[in-house]
Amino acid sequence: MKKLLRIEQIKILNYLPFQVLLGLYVLAIILGLVIYPLFDKQVPIVSLTDLFRFPDVWPFMTWITEPYNTMLALIVIMVTTNEFTNHTFKTQVIFGLGRAELLWQKLALIFILAMVATLLVTITSVLLGLSYSYKLTLNIALENSWMMLPYFLSSVAYMTFGLLFAILIKNTASAILGFIGFRTFLEPVLFLILRKYEIKWFLPMRANTRLTPLPNLIEMFEQKLDGDGEAMEASAMEILPKGLPMWANILLVLGYVALTVFISFRLMQKKKLT
Amino acid sequence: MNTTNTILEIRQLSRSYRSVKAIRELSLSINAGQAFGLLGPNGSGKTTTLSIIAGILKQDAGTYSWFGEDPPTPQQRTKIGSLIENPHFYPYLTLEQNLKIICEIKQIGYNDIDRVLEETKLSERKKSRFKTLSLGMKQRLGIAAALLGDPQILVLDEPTNGLDPEGIAEVRDTVMAQVEKGKTLILASHILSEVEKICSHVAILKNGELLASGSVEEILAEEEVVEFSCAENEKLKAILQNSDIVLHTRTENGLLVATLAPGMQSSDLNKFAFENLFVITHLRSRKKSLEAHFLELVK
Repeated sequence: MKKLLRIEQIKILNYLPFQVLLGLYVLAIILGLVIYPLFDKQVPIVSLTDLFRFPDVWPFMTWITEPYNTMLALIVIMVTTNEFTNHTFKTQVIFGLGRAELLWQKLALIFILAMVATLLVTITSVLLGLSYSYKLTLNIALENSWMMLPYFLSSVAYMTFGLLFAILIKNTASAILGFIGFRTFLEPVLFLILRKYEIKWFLPMRANTRLTPLPNLIEMFEQKLDGDGEAMEASAMEILPKGLPMWANILLVLGYVALTVFISFRLMQKKKLT
Repeated sequence: MNTTNTILEIRQLSRSYRSVKAIRELSLSINAGQAFGLLGPNGSGKTTTLSIIAGILKQDAGTYSWFGEDPPTPQQRTKIGSLIENPHFYPYLTLEQNLKIICEIKQIGYNDIDRVLEETKLSERKKSRFKTLSLGMKQRLGIAAALLGDPQILVLDEPTNGLDPEGIAEVRDTVMAQVEKGKTLILASHILSEVEKICSHVAILKNGELLASGSVEEILAEEEVVEFSCAENEKLKAILQNSDIVLHTRTENGLLVATLAPGMQSSDLNKFAFENLFVITHLRSRKKSLEAHFLELVK
């Protein structure tokens, strides 16, 4: 595994598009930190900075940064399809890597990127929480911090899904189009078609985004607002999507990741590498 | 059979691309220290064969084994230096970085990089990106990568492809030097003179089938034709028919023309005639070049 990591490191760290995309990802998170509080001044009564308090900062940050995972998936798609278009998978096999090892390289990369993303969001959340919370105790700070685990899983799921697209399609542009098309068009349409059936919650991308659900904002603000809290909550139940309980969702996505990786391995064993 | 000496054993290997049979039931055995040429016209199945033994293509049927170990493993390939078709590297990485990746795969130190770049005259371009190289330089980098770690076995598929005459001569010298060091070489080529110069053994392929295989001399000798004459041509011809020196003899413009039996040389014929009290007055070897034989075989 160490060998595979060193090989991947040489390839990745000297690859400009990788640096650019990863830089954009970091920038997007940092910019978010600056921009969200700016909006704050334009919204009366409720303050967005309320969401940056412990423990609400955890569900809010995981929800708001979840779409950034698409960028990580794009990185994985690019570096994988490049191996096909440059025929470098072939070169590596000729010199002694196994076909499975080719995939382990990419899985290791996915694991590391997911760790980096999770760490980054964790640090951001902690910084926000520290600067905006009124009351600060360890208990309050750590409440909801477990949400970083589903966040990590969500990152991994995005990237393994991207990896499968890359291996299936091989061509960079088509694989990116396929992935984005599936995520933003095909699956939402399927979701609409299936809207009457509970099975809609089992769609892979939907299950994935449900790992970092839209926080119950109304419940969060309710304490601050005067008026009928109960009525607000009732209307919140109407608006907020229900779906599967978190533990079932986690199991479902774990299942999807396992299936995606399994199919990827099978495809790599059979693929012609010339 | 001495299995410890067998480097590569190919048994009944077949592979098709849709309806085209690239190789059919190919069997070969290559021993340590041989410089083995795989000779055949374009599309005869050379690259397909090498791709299968390099692990990048799956065969439809048949098996192969390296070093007498079954089944083939990626680990074995780290002991083989291969160049299959065109060399492919990361275009945005420098030559040095590209070779570092190969070093990591082969699990050897980086200190061999300078040597192989020196040997392929690429030292000056060490820090250049791969994509900036000319075709010939890319080919030489492919050879440099194959030489990394000083492997005992080299598998080269048309290594002089795309090189200018000077480059061809240089690559040939590099390969010959490796052969002289006692390394095992498997060389695919459609250039006869190349195989004739470098190889000790040759297998001739056509349409994925093995037409002939053996040592280069053997295949040449098989077809060695001698023209000669003496005072009593017909008598000599009659005696020769019953000997094991020639395969057949015919008369042509008052001369006898004989095809020698495998392993026999014109001196053997002369000696035989002299012992039988014929004085040969004219003796000329019409040794067929490998080229003539090759063209005849693949016709």
